[in-house]
Amino acid sequence: MKKSVSTPRRLLRSFWLAAPLVLAGHATAHADPSAPALSRGHYLAIAADCAACHTNGHDGAKLAGGYPIASPLGVIYSTNITPSKTYGIGTYTLDQFSRAIRHGVRADGAQLYPAMPYGSYSRLTDEDVAALYDYLMHEVEPVDRPAPKTNLPFPFSIRASLWGWKLLSGVEGTPYVADPAHDAAWNRGKYLVDTLAHCGECHTPRNMLMAPSASAYLAGGDLGSWRAPNITSDATAGIGGWSAQDLQDYLRTGRSTHARAAGPMAEAVEHSFQYLTPADLAAMAAYLKTVPAIAEPGQTAANFSHGGKAAPFDYAAANARRNSSTLKGITQGNVLYENVCASCHQTDGRGSADGYYPSLVGNTTTGQRNPDDLVASILFGVDRTVDGHQILMPGFGPDSLVQPLDDQQVATLANYVLGHFGNAQAAVTAESVATIRAGGPKPAIAQLSEPRVLAVLAIAGLVILGVLALALRFVLKSRRAA
Amino acid sequence: MAQETLTADVVIAGAGICGAMLAHKLARNGVSVILLDAGPYRDRDQIVENWRNMPPNNKSQYDYATPYPSVPWAPHTNYFPDNNYLIVKGPDASAYRQGIIKGVGGTTWHWAASSWRYLPNDFRLKSTYGVGRDYALSYDELEAYYYEAECEMGVKGPNGQEIVPSAPRKNPWPMDSMPYGPGDRLFTSIVKPLGYDNTPVPQARNSRPFDGRPQCCGNNNCMPICPIGAMYHGVYSAMKAERHGARIIPNAVVYSIETDAKNTIVAMNYYDPDKGSHRVVAKTFVIAANGIETPKLLLLAANDRNPNGIANSSDQVGRNMMDHPGIGMSFQSAEPVWAGGGSVQMSSITNFRDGPFRSEYAAIQIGYNNTAQNSRAGMKALSMGLVGRKLDEEIRRRTAHGVDIYANHEVLPNPENRLVLSKDHRDALGIPHPEVTYDVGEYVHKSAALSRQHLTRIAQAMGGTEIEMSSFFTPNNHITGGTIMGHDPNDSVVDSWLRTHDHPNLFLATGAAMAASGTVNSTLTMAALSLRAGDAILADLKHG
Repeated sequence: MKKSVSTPRRLLRSFWLAAPLVLAGHATAHADPSAPALSRGHYLAIAADCAACHTNGHDGAKLAGGYPIASPLGVIYSTNITPSKTYGIGTYTLDQFSRAIRHGVRADGAQLYPAMPYGSYSRLTDEDVAALYDYLMHEVEPVDRPAPKTNLPFPFSIRASLWGWKLLSGVEGTPYVADPAHDAAWNRGKYLVDTLAHCGECHTPRNMLMAPSASAYLAGGDLGSWRAPNITSDATAGIGGWSAQDLQDYLRTGRSTHARAAGPMAEAVEHSFQYLTPADLAAMAAYLKTVPAIAEPGQTAANFSHGGKAAPFDYAAANARRNSSTLKGITQGNVLYENVCASCHQTDGRGSADGYYPSLVGNTTTGQRNPDDLVASILFGVDRTVDGHQILMPGFGPDSLVQPLDDQQVATLANYVLGHFGNAQAAVTAESVATIRAGGPKPAIAQLSEPRVLAVLAIAGLVILGVLALALRFVLKSRRAA
Repeated sequence: MAQETLTADVVIAGAGICGAMLAHKLARNGVSVILLDAGPYRDRDQIVENWRNMPPNNKSQYDYATPYPSVPWAPHTNYFPDNNYLIVKGPDASAYRQGIIKGVGGTTWHWAASSWRYLPNDFRLKSTYGVGRDYALSYDELEAYYYEAECEMGVKGPNGQEIVPSAPRKNPWPMDSMPYGPGDRLFTSIVKPLGYDNTPVPQARNSRPFDGRPQCCGNNNCMPICPIGAMYHGVYSAMKAERHGARIIPNAVVYSIETDAKNTIVAMNYYDPDKGSHRVVAKTFVIAANGIETPKLLLLAANDRNPNGIANSSDQVGRNMMDHPGIGMSFQSAEPVWAGGGSVQMSSITNFRDGPFRSEYAAIQIGYNNTAQNSRAGMKALSMGLVGRKLDEEIRRRTAHGVDIYANHEVLPNPENRLVLSKDHRDALGIPHPEVTYDVGEYVHKSAALSRQHLTRIAQAMGGTEIEMSSFFTPNNHITGGTIMGHDPNDSVVDSWLRTHDHPNLFLATGAAMAASGTVNSTLTMAALSLRAGDAILADLKHG
């Protein structure tokens, strides 16, 4: 299968999101035990998933950039981070490199768009920054080819405004210092979760400024079409009911008793987590189990605890429509389910005995209060490669070769699955399917570039933003001085 | 009704595998394409439902037509009961009761997806063995197009396995074969000591995810419908052509073809279901309406300048009708076999595809039909008057022990095996039904005597009881010959590029162009020939 990489194909839906949802590059490490051991920097680069954005798809030169990240603001192209002296970072000193990945500032002083998750990377230790630098400078082949230039529309074209955003949003932190109240594994887990794997970039919802909301740490975020679930220790809405082994299995393979990884998470597993050591995965699981629980208002049953029972099938009606050549316009969800889904997931929704075809009963995707992951899975399918083996559920959106469904059919189908195998409280409409198909709701800030909005708001808004930022800077400076 | 004239660079009549793959190739290369099909759009979900709700008796008789409702303006064959669409005559009439489907995607909606290459000698039967005819091109000239078709369809094959005879390859199959189910495994091991090599059949079915479609999981339902899209159907290429800008018009029944003073094609006219007429103008015209409908349309469209039919100055249109006359055998084996693990066809005995004997009698392919036996077992057990536990046990026993094997024969092109327009039967639009007269000939009869011995040996080796062998020849839907290719315009219809000798801008992308039937499924060869025609069409358009 040849994936098109010439057009931006993944939407960077929530403004300043990055790596975890746009992973398209091959991970560079292999699980092959006969392969030489990875350097520390190489391993860190996998854990931080650099290649996801900085390698342009399966055919792209390794870490040479050019991967089009379709943000709601426009296409952002990843940069060449090979040690090419002309087009890469070959002339960067360690200090310049550190400023770039921790603070989003290029060697020439220009601000990086926060598609680069420097908020998370700002917590990297000095040793790890140095190891990453060594790896990129000495183990990666220089590619003397420029990555395409990013040209966002005004006002986002003004990179200088980003320093103001950084100050206001407070995304930057300081290098991680171990918490003596916890053991080494917990500390390692927290470091991996918050810094290298940058989980919060997706799983923590964003505030008005599109910065991760500290008060809702890992409580679940919207990623355009997809929903990054609540991964706090809440037993109902989060992963509190998962065993540590469930979590490790899920991270390593994308598959556990309670969930299957799809969409951006499948890519994170494919390109990064499957290559992490068992000790690191165990550390991440141990830490996640201690993340303060945040409940979902109104949710009473755990995502994976719903029962399931198929609806009775009307055979007479099926016989009556024998002369049709299409099921367009069918309003009974179980008819669509039976003919589109049941060949794999089975009439009772419980999948195959070996779990190759997952059960839809007791599955986080169908059990969440928020049905976006279910709708996105139906529209875009599931695609993940682990241990060299590709798992693919085809998509059933308008481009599906297997069976294109329209928005109403997807809604009918999703509601049947939710009502009979998952969370009956959740509901889907044709309109919500259309929104998810189009990449999810646009964040307010993205609408700034639309001409009419721009005309009214842009100049005034920027002035206010600038003044606010200056004021903040003044306050901060005064504090430091004091 | 307002007359609308449609215009494109290329118009293709027929959205089955040949027309759709050609449309995809042309559209991908920036050519404007209109793709017409006489039948409707069909959705997999409705076909799946129709199949599941079909009476068990139909299932037990391998009724693959009923899930695809025939429409009055474009009827297709159905023998449950016989709707008399295709009228067959002659000593081997039964061997030409072909199954075809009209509608976007065509007959590859239901097929076993066997995607063989023909052998180099199949292309030069006359020069090598002195019988039949030669193709107008060599295997080597088609090799690259075979590979192009294999990549478009997603063909899995026995990479790395030495099989004699087999067609030489420059590239491996895009996917590796899938492992055999229990039936094919046992069958292979039992026939091996008898001297038969039972080897994997190359098939357009995913052994891994491919082209956004999942891998086969052995629903064993290839015919009548793959429920998950792991198998290739022509409809995928039609959908991809559409994404590249091709316009698909279903329910468009082409009935006339306009020619000018130089006998170039000027327009095609089609009926909609209400018999409103529409005209389509293009630079290049293609008829890709399978081996029955293509000659039928050419004969139907006869005009003053071409009184015997379009492209028919040679009088070869509708002649040389070929297929693979088959002999079927079923029995109960001594050991449980459990047909049904994997796809409906996985393996084949290919020892007799080629050899000097072909100067005297037909080459054959022997195969094991891996279709699950439960429907047959159930109907038989019911007919025995059993009830309760005894009924269950008998169904289980017959499902485990039932075996279905066959031998398919190559047939020589014979001008007397002929398709004509029926004088008595017309469809709802007033278009005559096709009528075929068929005699498989001595070449096949001589070979069939040996085939019956092969099948009997195998049945005995499996400890077969209740052995039943068909006394007549069965059809295989590998419809070839009706617009045969050749170098000489006096005795053939198209050249090696599938261009008609009579009309410089008319191509016939169909298995009907094939000049020898070989022993194996014709689909991949006709697809490869159609893709090759695409290069000729692109060159024409480029050079004006």
